[in-house]
Amino acid sequence: MGQYIARRLLQAVVLVFLLSIVLFALVNLAPGGPLAGHGQSRHVRPERVAMLKRQFGLDKPLPLQYVIWLAGNDWMKIDADGDGIFESYGVRKGVLRGDFGFSFRTREPVLKEIALRLPNTIYLMSVTLIVALLIAIPVGVISAVKQYSGFDILVTTVSFAGQAIPEFWLGLILILVFYAWLKNPVTGGPLLPSGGIYTLGTEFSLQDWMIHLILPVTTGALGWIAWYSRFLRSSMLDVIHQDYLRTARAKGLTERMVLYRHALRNALIPVVTMFALDVPYILSGAVYVEMIFAWPGMGRLYYQSALQRDYPVLMAILVIGAAFMILSNLLADVLYGFLDPRIRYE
Amino acid sequence: MTDNDASKISAFEDSATTSDSRTLAVKPRGMLAAVWMRFRRHPGAVAGSLVFSLLVLSVILVAFSPYDPETSSMGERLQPPSWAHTMGTDALGRDFLTRVLYGGRISVSVGLMVVAITLTIGVPVGAIAGYFGGWIDSILMRITDAALSLPSLLVLILLGAILREVEIPLLQRNNVVTIALVIGLLSWMTFARLVRATFLTLREMDYVTASRSLGGSSAWIIIRHILPNSVGPIIVEATLELGYAIIEESGLSFLGFGIQPPTPSWGNLLSNAQEHFTKYPWLAIFPGVMIFLSIISVNYIGDGLRDAFDPYKVLKKVGEV
Amino acid sequence: MDADKHKSLGVALFTLLALLLLASCVAKPAATEPPPPAAVQSTAETSQEQPFGETSITIVIPEDPPSFNAIVGDTGYDGLVMNLVMMGLTGVDEQGNIYPELAMKLPEVENGGVVVDEEAGTMDVTWELRQDVTWADGEPVTAKDVVFTWEAIMNPDTGIWVRGSDYVDSVEMIGTNSVVFHYNSIYPGYLTQLGGEQLVIWPSHYCDAAQGFVAWDCARQPLSNGPFLLEDWVVGDHMTFARNPNYFEVGKPYIDKIIVRIVPDEAVRKAMMLQGDADLYMWATETVLNEMEGKPEVKISMAPFSRWVMRLFPNQAAKGTTDPAASPHPVFSDVRVRKAIRIAMDVDTISQDLFLGYGKPVWTEFSRPPYECSIPRPPYDPEAAKALLEEAGWKDTDGDGIRECHGCQSAGEGDLMKVEFYTYSEYGEVLELTQQLIGEMLKNIGIDAQLSVFEGSLLWADAESGGIEQKGDFDLDLWDDGYSGVDPTDYLWELYHSEAAIPGSGWNIVRWISPEFDALLDEAYTLDEAKRKEVFCEIAQLLDEQVPVILLFSTVNAEIYSTRLEGVQSSINDLVSWNAANWKVTK
Repeated sequence: MGQYIARRLLQAVVLVFLLSIVLFALVNLAPGGPLAGHGQSRHVRPERVAMLKRQFGLDKPLPLQYVIWLAGNDWMKIDADGDGIFESYGVRKGVLRGDFGFSFRTREPVLKEIALRLPNTIYLMSVTLIVALLIAIPVGVISAVKQYSGFDILVTTVSFAGQAIPEFWLGLILILVFYAWLKNPVTGGPLLPSGGIYTLGTEFSLQDWMIHLILPVTTGALGWIAWYSRFLRSSMLDVIHQDYLRTARAKGLTERMVLYRHALRNALIPVVTMFALDVPYILSGAVYVEMIFAWPGMGRLYYQSALQRDYPVLMAILVIGAAFMILSNLLADVLYGFLDPRIRYE
Repeated sequence: MTDNDASKISAFEDSATTSDSRTLAVKPRGMLAAVWMRFRRHPGAVAGSLVFSLLVLSVILVAFSPYDPETSSMGERLQPPSWAHTMGTDALGRDFLTRVLYGGRISVSVGLMVVAITLTIGVPVGAIAGYFGGWIDSILMRITDAALSLPSLLVLILLGAILREVEIPLLQRNNVVTIALVIGLLSWMTFARLVRATFLTLREMDYVTASRSLGGSSAWIIIRHILPNSVGPIIVEATLELGYAIIEESGLSFLGFGIQPPTPSWGNLLSNAQEHFTKYPWLAIFPGVMIFLSIISVNYIGDGLRDAFDPYKVLKKVGEV
Repeated sequence: MDADKHKSLGVALFTLLALLLLASCVAKPAATEPPPPAAVQSTAETSQEQPFGETSITIVIPEDPPSFNAIVGDTGYDGLVMNLVMMGLTGVDEQGNIYPELAMKLPEVENGGVVVDEEAGTMDVTWELRQDVTWADGEPVTAKDVVFTWEAIMNPDTGIWVRGSDYVDSVEMIGTNSVVFHYNSIYPGYLTQLGGEQLVIWPSHYCDAAQGFVAWDCARQPLSNGPFLLEDWVVGDHMTFARNPNYFEVGKPYIDKIIVRIVPDEAVRKAMMLQGDADLYMWATETVLNEMEGKPEVKISMAPFSRWVMRLFPNQAAKGTTDPAASPHPVFSDVRVRKAIRIAMDVDTISQDLFLGYGKPVWTEFSRPPYECSIPRPPYDPEAAKALLEEAGWKDTDGDGIRECHGCQSAGEGDLMKVEFYTYSEYGEVLELTQQLIGEMLKNIGIDAQLSVFEGSLLWADAESGGIEQKGDFDLDLWDDGYSGVDPTDYLWELYHSEAAIPGSGWNIVRWISPEFDALLDEAYTLDEAKRKEVFCEIAQLLDEQVPVILLFSTVNAEIYSTRLEGVQSSINDLVSWNAANWKVTK
């Protein structure tokens, strides 16, 4: 097992490396670039463009730019003022040493920009996932146990519908209903806020934070609930009819023990692995929710950076996202092997 | 995920639909006929097919609409739904129903093209990997895994942002073909895996060994024997892929990186609505309803097809379940 | 699956459909106006708890300023905060009048501040500085700071271009509080050479010249000589400014604290204004103004004039080329076509309906003081436009609604009158709708326009990066432009001079070559105001006759502020904080 993991890790590193090259090429292919349209004046002068190009290191050939991105330029001399003389050392350490460069838009270190937003995304998405699982698992189990009952049919239909509703539309509709139409009976204002993590300018209030969570979490969780309840239902159904359960029942275990100690645990195995694979979608899923609910997270950062061609930020998020996905694939496989004694890797 | 899992997971899905005892009692008159019969008995699938056909019909027939999706009518701006305008009017006074249906053309075309592209790439890749095994399989699966490791929405946004400024013949500025290609390039992997899993099991079949010993070439065996038997899961997946593609395109256009205005698409109609939809809610409600109806009808069709083909049969033979 | 279950599923599906159909009935607006987005919290406390007696206001902006150096960042938000802490030699008020800030008085020929050598064609401008202004660390502001600032900016590595800097030979300190600028030609814009919207004087003893003007730390941790001091800056969240007790205007500023909050979401900013959590909303767009107008909690300040004028740019060189003589544009090189388009534009509808009445029709560059010229407004007359096109040799002989060339000036016989029509995306939906409407107006007179929306950064990039305007890769473009401040000379050069048509040299992207214009503009480089007015109005005539660019309407420049705040005045010549020292809190 250990050998297997080591091998997979090595493959993962190579893969991330290759992907970073591909992504770097893509990101820099875009025409236009971050140089023009900056600021108020439309007329950007050529000296300014040249200066910006030098500052951003965009005047170098692409492969060299990649090397600098990866390994920094503090080991080489650069020409900071464009006079043709390479007089000073660069300041960048490169990704391999944890330096993802500076954002074109704000001139702040990329990691700082990300660090400012990442907690917000993790916060939102963890709550979403937890809520989704808390609802999906019991619903799926009950649905499977009471197969063909009214509850089951309702759940199946609603899941079907839930998977067909686009996340971005759901967000808008929820805002329409809960912010524009329904009113808070006490204040006469909107029932729920249309965005943000908390009401700006106020003191911290747990109630305020929770109220702000309601709509974004609902938007994000619905699809997950729909998918996981169905999935768990299938998994449970499959397990319920297995022979070993019949044996357990024959041995005199209560139905409840049969369910929870045997059936559920085994039914959860594929769910856990599926879940481990889905975790990276935290980032993707966040994009729509964060955009609509003005949530200052990674998804929104990515979107804004894509709009303004802030290459360093885009690269950082893409590479981190890819690494995350690869690792979670590995985690899923390892988990599966760990949980299911029938599977063994060499 | 290992190969085992892909088939295990589809087995989980299928086992929930234990076979209808009535089906076994009737002698099938050929696979397609049997499939069709089972499909017809699935009310959800039938309803789905009806709805979807209606949808397709309406986006075709919108050409006969008395309203032009592009001509403005400033006197009638932003009107709520009425008898004259079933879905109201937009910010330039254009009939919204017409615009939504034209948007439907775009969204559905992209969806169909994506399915075509993912089939074209995914099926051969999966077939070759699954049939030949060995190092070919290894390489192809590495590539598939690599493609699967990309955070797809993020890469879609990136590609959309790049390509919307690019103008080369056939791929002008995020037109239907470009978007379909972009989405397709990031979603063929599911097919590859599915087909590979199916092929891995099917190539051990007796009739394959028989054919080979009779001198059948690999291509012949693949095309003539294995492929027809694997058609079931492929068709089911293709249907679901259609729904997925429509949502992806809508999402991408909603963000502004997909189909560019003034060409309407359900996604960018929603995006345009964002500015003042609290005042003019119909602008946000209807495009979304259309997306919802397409997806849910397509999903019901897929569900019905899955039941109808019952790939459970294939896996049962191998003793997996 | 069991058949009964299937039926139930089917029923469920149909019910769902029915519900959705019902939704369309409900989709009529529930309220006729948007509900006031009041606070969610039920307590009535406002967020602005203040210690007894201290007045504090909050400004909301969508993003952090990159630094305090407005001319480097050029985002406008940097200018906003820069005005609070630093000053230039002069400032410009909302009427366009220039007033002295760090300077004692405005140097003029009459008071000896400006000495002109008519023969050599050069001039010297002497600035006397105030002696009562100090930096926050106690050091006085002196001529040394002026020279230091100028040299830091002029360093060729900065890539910063300052208007008029091409004409400045040198800057000399003549005494602790006097500086002289030696100009190598007569430059009328000398008064805002180191003042106005984006330029201030930087402290020589505090800023590190070695770091360079573009990147020095003192742009993020500024040393103040203005009405306020930067107290703290939490990036991404807020900046706090405290009253500068040593500000040279005694008694001012009247406000003790200014908090600048970073709030990316527009809806939240609006809500904050209405709830009283914010006092000033910068750069309000037409839609926001429309929503907030009339609400009792806020007032609106509109700049008396407009800077940004939305206009159509018809490329007079063929698409993809830059020499109109060698390859004239098949459609737009004929002035009659340009004139026809001008009178086919229903500007009133666009500015009233799409821009909600906040757009004002503009038809000449010279529509604000001091250089207003009376040019008659072109009528809205599509029929006359059609007639003009017929005269220009564009006729629709096959009845498909699109004209073809039959004896036209620069296109081949039978060529369709078809053009690509671009605009940019960042302005928002309003501009895209405007583009669509204009496309229809063009269609109405027989021109087939293919619409596309591009990112601004691609439109305005330099030619090397694929910039569409610089490369001439367009037929007809729609975007807004305009000059800030009082002096249009440099802007006119950039937009209309023949040399500015060379890619990389200027912004005469329509490639209009007019020796007459070039000669006239040359005459404007004089200090004789009467002469300048005359010349400008002649230029206005010429532009009206030749229509190189089709001006449509101006967009609004306004801010929204709370009723408890007084003294706020929007201006096209500076950010709204230009007179922050005069603001008062009344409640």
